[in-house]
This record gives sequence, C-alpha cells and structure tokens, in this order.
Amino acid sequence: MTTAAISTTSTRRIHRPSVDAFLIPVLMAAPAMLTLAVWVYYPLLETAWLSFFEWNMMPGATKTFVGFENYERLLSLPEMPKATLNTIYYTLGLLPMTVALPLAVALLSQNLQGPWRNVYRAAIFLPMIMAPVVIAVIWRWLLNAEYGLINVILNSLGFGKVQFLNNPDTALWTILFMTGWKLVGFSTLVFAAAITQIDKSMTEAARMDGASEWRVAIDIVIPLISPSVLFIAMLTVLHGAQWSFAYINVLTKGGPLLATTNLFYLLYEYGFANFAVGWSAAAGMVLFLGFGAIAILCGRVLQRHAFHQG
Amino acid sequence: MSAIISTTAPSPQDGSFGSATAIAKVDPSQRNLSLRAHALLLPLSFVCIFPLYWMLVTALRHEGDVFSTTLWPENPTLENFRYVVGAIPLGRMLLNTTLMAVLTTVLQIVTGLMAAYVFASARVWAGRLLLVSLTAAWLIPPQVIMIPNFLLINRLGMMDTLQALVIPHAAAAFAIMLLYQTIRSFPKELIESAEMDGCGHMHILFAIIVPNIRPVIASVAILLFISSWNEYLWPLLVTRSAENSVIQIGLQMFLGEQGNQWGALMAAATLASMPILLIYLVLQRQIIDTFVRSGLR
Repeated sequence: MTTAAISTTSTRRIHRPSVDAFLIPVLMAAPAMLTLAVWVYYPLLETAWLSFFEWNMMPGATKTFVGFENYERLLSLPEMPKATLNTIYYTLGLLPMTVALPLAVALLSQNLQGPWRNVYRAAIFLPMIMAPVVIAVIWRWLLNAEYGLINVILNSLGFGKVQFLNNPDTALWTILFMTGWKLVGFSTLVFAAAITQIDKSMTEAARMDGASEWRVAIDIVIPLISPSVLFIAMLTVLHGAQWSFAYINVLTKGGPLLATTNLFYLLYEYGFANFAVGWSAAAGMVLFLGFGAIAILCGRVLQRHAFHQG
Repeated sequence: MSAIISTTAPSPQDGSFGSATAIAKVDPSQRNLSLRAHALLLPLSFVCIFPLYWMLVTALRHEGDVFSTTLWPENPTLENFRYVVGAIPLGRMLLNTTLMAVLTTVLQIVTGLMAAYVFASARVWAGRLLLVSLTAAWLIPPQVIMIPNFLLINRLGMMDTLQALVIPHAAAAFAIMLLYQTIRSFPKELIESAEMDGCGHMHILFAIIVPNIRPVIASVAILLFISSWNEYLWPLLVTRSAENSVIQIGLQMFLGEQGNQWGALMAAATLASMPILLIYLVLQRQIIDTFVRSGLR
C-alpha cells in the first residue's frame, strides 16, 4: 500500500469518469434506498391515497371513493376525541419520567465514584433492553388486583386493593408508568454523560466564587447540557404516545372504556380490528402531518435555544 | 456539542457517574455528595431491577406457591419451564426470532454501509439530502404505514413467513445515518490513495474502511439486534401461526390463552428475555455506551 498521496481537493469526489464509476455507487446505494422507498416512503403516499376511500380490506371488497369525507368526519368518529385527549396525556405525562426525574438524578449523582457506578449504570439501564411484551407481562403480574405483589403490600399497609389496569381512572397512568419505567435509566445516563462533557473549570470557577450547588446547576450545568435535554424532550413529545403501543395492545386493548387508547392505537384498531381502512389512513395522515409540524417546531427550538459550550 | 462518533468510549478526565472510566480515590469532601447519589440511585436501581427479579422468582415457584411473597421460592422448581416448552412451540419461536434478528441486523449493516459510503463520498448536498430524508423516514410512525406494508406482504404471498419479517427491515435509517457520519470522518488520505491505486468502491469500503471501523459496526449491530428481537407491531401483523411467530408474539399468545397461570407465564417471559439478558450480561458496557452516545447532542 503506497503512502498517502498529497490531497489537493477538499471534497471527496468519485474520480473515474467511466460509466462503471457511476453504476457501482448506484448499485451500492440501491438496496438501502430501494428498501426505504418501497417500505417507508411509498407506503406513506399509499396511506394518503387510501384516506380518500372507504374500504374494508376484505377479498372482493371494492374501494369506494369518498373524497374528504373521512377527514371531515374525523373528530366525530368513535373514540377519536378520547384518543386525542389521551395522546396529549401520554405525551406530556411521560416528560416527568423521561426528562425531569432523570435530570434531577443525573445532577445530584454527578460525582459518584467507585465500583458502585457501574453497578448502578447496568441496573438502571436494564429496562431499556427488555422487550415491551415482557415488561407488560411482568407488570401485569406485579399489579394484579388480587395477588400481585404491589397490592399485597398495599393491603398490608392498610390500603384497599387497586385495580390498576381495570379501573378507568388509573389505567392510563399505569400504562404511562410502564412506558416511563423503561426509559428512565436511558435518559439518566444520557444526561449524566452530557454532564461529564462539561468543562469542569466553569463549574469550579463558579463554586470558588461562592455560588451554591443549586445556582451552579441552574446557571451553568443545565444550559450546557440543554441540547441533550431538549433532544430527549423532543423524542418524548414525538414518540411518547407511540411507545405505549405494545403495552396497550397486550394489556388493555385501549380499554377499559377507552381509558388507555391513543391515536396510534386507534390507527391500529381502525385498520385491523374494525377494518375501516379509510378512517385509519385519514387519522394517520393527520397524525403524521401534526407530529411532523411539531417535529419541525422542535427542531427550530433546539437550534435556537440550545446552549453550546466554548 | 455534537455527538462525536469515535471508536473508543468517551473518557473525560474525571471519573464521575456518566463516564466509562473511574478514579480509585474518593475525595473526603465528595463523601456527602456520594451519599446523596447513593440515596437516589439505590431506590432507582431497585425499581428497575426488582420486576425482573420477581419474574424469575415467580417462574421458579411451584404452582401452589405462586401467590407466596417470600423473596426466594421455598422449593425452586423448573416445572413451569417444562410446561411452557410443552405448551407452545418455544424452540421454533426462539429459532425464528434469532434468524429474524440476525438476518435483519446483517442486512441493515451491509445495506447501511454501502449507502453510507456512497453518500459520504458524494457531494455535500447529497449528504444533506440523505440526512433530511432519513430523519423524515425515522419520524414516520409505523402505524401510519403499516396498512400498505401489510397489503404488499399479502399481495406478494409472503404472509406468515420469515421473509415478511426481514425484507421490509432490510435497511435501517438509524444505521445509515450513523455509518454515514462515521465514514465521513474517516481519514480521506487512506481512501484517496486507494483510489489512486485503482481500487474499486467495494474494495475501498469492505477492505479498507470496514476493518477500521469495526467497533462502531459492532455497537450498531448490537443495537439493531436488540431492537429487532424486541420488535412487536410488525410481527403482530404478518405472523399468523404459532410455529412461524416470534417469541414476543408467542408470549402474547401464551398470555391470551393461559394468562392466569402466573408461574408458567413468568417462565415464558423469562425464556423470551433470556438471550438478550445473556448478551447484556456480557456486553453491558458496550451496549450502554452505544445507546447513550446516540442520545447525546
């Protein structure tokens, strides 16, 4: 292998002018791009198309063109209003567990040294690698009204038993808890890693000037890790309600009495339980455009407000 | 502060909680802070681990003891595991899941590498276009595109097959993005001198670049594997029979049919998570570092 030649170009270009030079890169990029085109981008267009029809996917059934009717009737479709409200609950309700609590823990455990550190890291990250179905099954057992350990403990403390998943008042928060439980460790470690990347001289200087721990955190640490915090917050807002899907389908199917359903679950139900493809597609497009707008907004906020070091 | 995709774990000078290195001595003035850290992390760790522990404990209990609340079963037994193996085609399901996860991961890495290489070597605007498109792809909720994909699988006659599980996931936007950034920061001199030697693109990618970014590829591969193993929605839609389903769906089937046989259910859950737990046991540092780096901005 010859030693590196002096490069006089600053951008790397594909040099050889022959047809081959063009063909090979195209063939190389093709599998990935084709896969995405066929299974991600095109289906989006197809969903848009389907939203203008009424169809039930049955063999032999015909698609009936209904124009914008599905969209017009969207909010009056069964379950839509409750699902929309629940989606907001899911989205905002996750933030304490994916941002607030992890931030507090990361800030307050910054200087932990020693062998315990790795034990804690491995422990709090464990839920993150577990499959949602497994998580659902485990918590179903722990929260079982008669024999689940949680209720056994509550009983021994004098409280009555709680029907965590069967009571419309508690069901959504129970699902939310499971969703957040999976993510707490991940957020905590991301924030903790972000904190270690801060130049220690800044915090040291502030401490030597007499600033309290609290002040140091608010004025220096948090602004400097804000890109990561905002990123996790954005992820939660955009995907939070969708993260709960497996728990809902395994444990409550949206019930009891619509207590746990959300827009993402509803899309699935319309499509595969009610076989109302048009409804699912229309709701899906609105969901996509709505969250797309939120994503763009979040992107702008991230760019403008994220503090950068140095 | 951008996420630097490096081939080594981030190692700042001090050894605090977020880093991967440690300093042995503890400054006395730090002891109070340490105490506070323990006071927070101990309960949090407990909440995160205990459910898994309880699953295991319940799985090892006799049917009659299942409602007991002792911390460890009086007479641990494997009868629940034997029952589960007999009740559902567990071996088949684990095999299907393993095949699916391995094939998907390999395909996603290979297609990702090739696409990332092409765009990393192309003009800057092409790279930007790629990143925007991939971000958009990643933002599309699966529930929005699941119906057309389901219909396509049906039309192709691939329902209830391994291909149906693997082919739609042959490329992963996340993998392409990460590999693109990695290859972009690869030393240009090595690539250019290889080009001048007359090496073809495939050779440059697989004989020169890949051997040097093995740690990154390994990290991404682990992430993709875990993600594929835990996949739920798509297998739910395209598998029909128990023999062809993956372990996650198998577990849900078991829950549906014998959901109140708690011991057996917990045994099934244990078997469903065993492979990933074993991988985690061996590779947790690398897994955690990769996940955490993907969240850093």
